[in-house]
Amino acid sequence: METVPLDSKNVYYPPGGILMWIIIFLELFTFGMALVAMVYYGSLERELFHESRLLLNASYGAVNTVFLLTSGFFMAKSVMELKRQQVAKSIRYLWVTMFLGLCFLVLKSIEYNSKIDAGLDMNYNLFFTFYWALTAFHVIHVIVGILILGISTFNLKRSPDKVELIDIEAGAAFWHMCDLIWLLLFPIIYLIF
Amino acid sequence: MKQINIIWGLLMALTFATAFVSGSDINYAALLIIGIAVLKFVLVSFEFMELKKAHRLWKYLVLGFLGIFAALILFII
Repeated sequence: METVPLDSKNVYYPPGGILMWIIIFLELFTFGMALVAMVYYGSLERELFHESRLLLNASYGAVNTVFLLTSGFFMAKSVMELKRQQVAKSIRYLWVTMFLGLCFLVLKSIEYNSKIDAGLDMNYNLFFTFYWALTAFHVIHVIVGILILGISTFNLKRSPDKVELIDIEAGAAFWHMCDLIWLLLFPIIYLIF
Repeated sequence: MKQINIIWGLLMALTFATAFVSGSDINYAALLIIGIAVLKFVLVSFEFMELKKAHRLWKYLVLGFLGIFAALILFII
């Protein structure tokens, strides 16, 4: 396995690769602009957004934050172990990362189910249009992230000699991006209105 | 390896701090909540994503995005 780290100080080789970082910035700008738009509309209809926000369960959001941050922690540990040629340990941490990602999705499903049962769908009001659009788009990213990590784990188990560190780092960067997006979504959607 | 454990502990503490602030009647709660979110964002990107080892251009881009985003949110709200 190629585990010699590239020179990250070189502007063309950020950790995870330049292509992944271009994707990360595009995603951050997309979610960022949508959140700014949400806050803008929230400033025009303060009462509606405040009352709608109270219909959300912030505890679900907080627990999901713990799930994602902890999964990011194990992802970082997995990359560290891989750099030290500890493939078995790296794979174990990848499994933990994916498990916590699945925990996030399970809790999100419970939350979505309760909202649908209460009739709080996308057309309920403007707040819930933003809520569904932003959180569902984020959930899609988490699902894609788990698939990427699953493929990385499979490749590491099957033929570790053929796996390159930069590929695992790119998958890790994508996973951390899901974390970063959630760190912006959670306080704005669940807390500040 | 130890440093990353400390960072995780710090992130958990900040998450609980957010829960505390949002459940209280503290003045400027929104400012505190966004401030904590910015801090967590920096910790994840610089430590977990190892941005601290990257060329300074990438650091400035992330910090620039974060600064503009937080300023816009706090200005509008």
